Amino acid sequence: MDDQACPRCKTTKYRNPSLKLMVNVCGHTLCESCVDLLFLKGSGACPECMVPLRRNNFRVQLFEDPMVEKEVDIRRRILRDYNKREEDFASLAEYNDYLEEIEDIVYNLCNNIEIIETNKRIEAYKRDNREVIQRNKTRVGRDEYALEEMLELEKVQEEARRKELEELENEHKKKKARDKQALIEELMYSGKDAAQIVTEFAEKAEKQREEEKQLPPPKPANEFSTGIKFGQTADPSLLPVPKSEEGPLFVYEPLVALSEGPAMPPTSEIVSRGYIAHIRAETSQENAGGFTSALACERALQEALQGLYYTATAGVLSGT
Amino acid sequence: MYPVSSQKRSWTFANEGQLMDFRVEQNSKYIESHEEEAQGLDLKEHFLTPAEERLLLKQYEIYLFDFCRRFDPPMPKCVVGTAFHYFKRFYLNNTPMDYHPKEILATCVFVACKVEEFNVSINQFVNNIKGDRNKATDIVLSNELLLIGQLNYYLTIHNPFRPIEGLLIDIKTRSNMQHPERLRPHIDSFIDSTFYSDACLLHTPSQIALAAVLHAASREQENLDSYVTDLLFVSAREKLPGLIDAVRKIRIMVKQYQQPDRDKVKAIEKKLDKCRNQANNPDSELYKERLRRLYTDEDDMPAEDASFHIADVSSDTSAMNISQ
Repeated sequence: MDDQACPRCKTTKYRNPSLKLMVNVCGHTLCESCVDLLFLKGSGACPECMVPLRRNNFRVQLFEDPMVEKEVDIRRRILRDYNKREEDFASLAEYNDYLEEIEDIVYNLCNNIEIIETNKRIEAYKRDNREVIQRNKTRVGRDEYALEEMLELEKVQEEARRKELEELENEHKKKKARDKQALIEELMYSGKDAAQIVTEFAEKAEKQREEEKQLPPPKPANEFSTGIKFGQTADPSLLPVPKSEEGPLFVYEPLVALSEGPAMPPTSEIVSRGYIAHIRAETSQENAGGFTSALACERALQEALQGLYYTATAGVLSGT
Repeated sequence: MYPVSSQKRSWTFANEGQLMDFRVEQNSKYIESHEEEAQGLDLKEHFLTPAEERLLLKQYEIYLFDFCRRFDPPMPKCVVGTAFHYFKRFYLNNTPMDYHPKEILATCVFVACKVEEFNVSINQFVNNIKGDRNKATDIVLSNELLLIGQLNYYLTIHNPFRPIEGLLIDIKTRSNMQHPERLRPHIDSFIDSTFYSDACLLHTPSQIALAAVLHAASREQENLDSYVTDLLFVSAREKLPGLIDAVRKIRIMVKQYQQPDRDKVKAIEKKLDKCRNQANNPDSELYKERLRRLYTDEDDMPAEDASFHIADVSSDTSAMNISQ
């Protein structure tokens, strides 16, 4: 970016911070002051390629590479005529061929390949397809149309909302005026104490204000600005979340320890009755893992007692 | 929990006769399928009889115990117990003629090391085996899956060691016996000798443990009968006869154990070399032929060969020399 310079006067961005580079259809750049100087009459030749240019075709260079600028320009011009849509073709393959042709033409024009030939091709195309081109130009694209419709709808809604608000405001004002009138009338005609009447009315007004506050806020918007509805369960386009089939609820059954032997001393008695005194204490590492000597003690006792009642008749009859 | 274990469900049997039936059945099944190998000889002359098989296996149980005792690093007792369980279980459903006990022995110990979380690598393991270590590695690894399959994948073993601890804790807590710790050497030697018997296939680990404790007490001129009757079985007197019977049987089994006669075993081993299944002998031509087949067409490998490890078999016959 640092050496963005006008090729003619050699002014750089550094020397003139407000330097504006312009580009024309040929793709060669010039700074704004040079354009002013050279195209005083409104038209002239490009100082580099001598192509005749018009002054009002100069645009501010958006891309660093002037070739890109040139291509954008050419593409815009070509697409003005090559404006067929997919619907205009019998098959996708034909449409693809057509797009391919456009790319060919743009490439040729950008890189100065067979300019005359290509221009002839464009002319021929224009002649052959004049009707289609014209029709497509006038036809507003379906997408654009839909967008317009949406904008229209939004506008209408905006209007309705505004009106509603206005009405509310008016109502409020009217009510206030009525209240004031009533107060004055009361003060005029009733025989009560004026101060009392004023406080009474003040209280009443206070109460009303309170009530208003409690009123639900205005109906929440149920549409995005794009017109897509949200927050409505009855929307047929969105299926309700399917309810997962649930089986019967889990019922906890306490674990029954098969022993086939004498009953174990209860866990609480392992320590209190001194079983634990006959087993080594757990190390701190073992304790960190959740293993206590009471557990080990209980396990040893359990294994000692399990299966003591076993008798041979209960044995299995086959080995495998 | 032993009462819900596979050990109780599938590997604890009613009586010794049942075990004998299994062994005889395996023996006759093998003889039937290899009958033609006898080449006119008397079947009893050529093949091992069930009694000879028992004698052979008893000798290998001694080898197994020695191997475990000399194992470096020293192995915990529960590994030995588990290895014995595996060895016994394996030969309930197989005959030593099919799979040579010296190969199964090492494999049992190896699997037991793994199951009991005694971490030894295969290299460390074969360092304890004399002879060709590469070959031993191949044999152990190739038989590992076979063994596990033959155990029906029931690998959890309930050994009597923890019940012994529990009983000692209980005795120390509830009975008034003096210095129960002095029972320990007797208990240990008793448990070691139960390994040589079929007690672990017939009784629960807690019964074996109680038998060991009672035996040790009698050795120390102590009497724990009151502990059993008045404390352990106080609420279930009707179960007492069953237990007394079990303890008596275990003690008889241990008492009746006799070391096999060396010369007899040597003769049996010679016989075995002739009648063993050559397809499972790593030194045989048949085995090598089978390997070659496996190498060449692995795709249509028969299903029963799937567990068969492809081993590089050397001609060295002194591999797996655990016994000497």
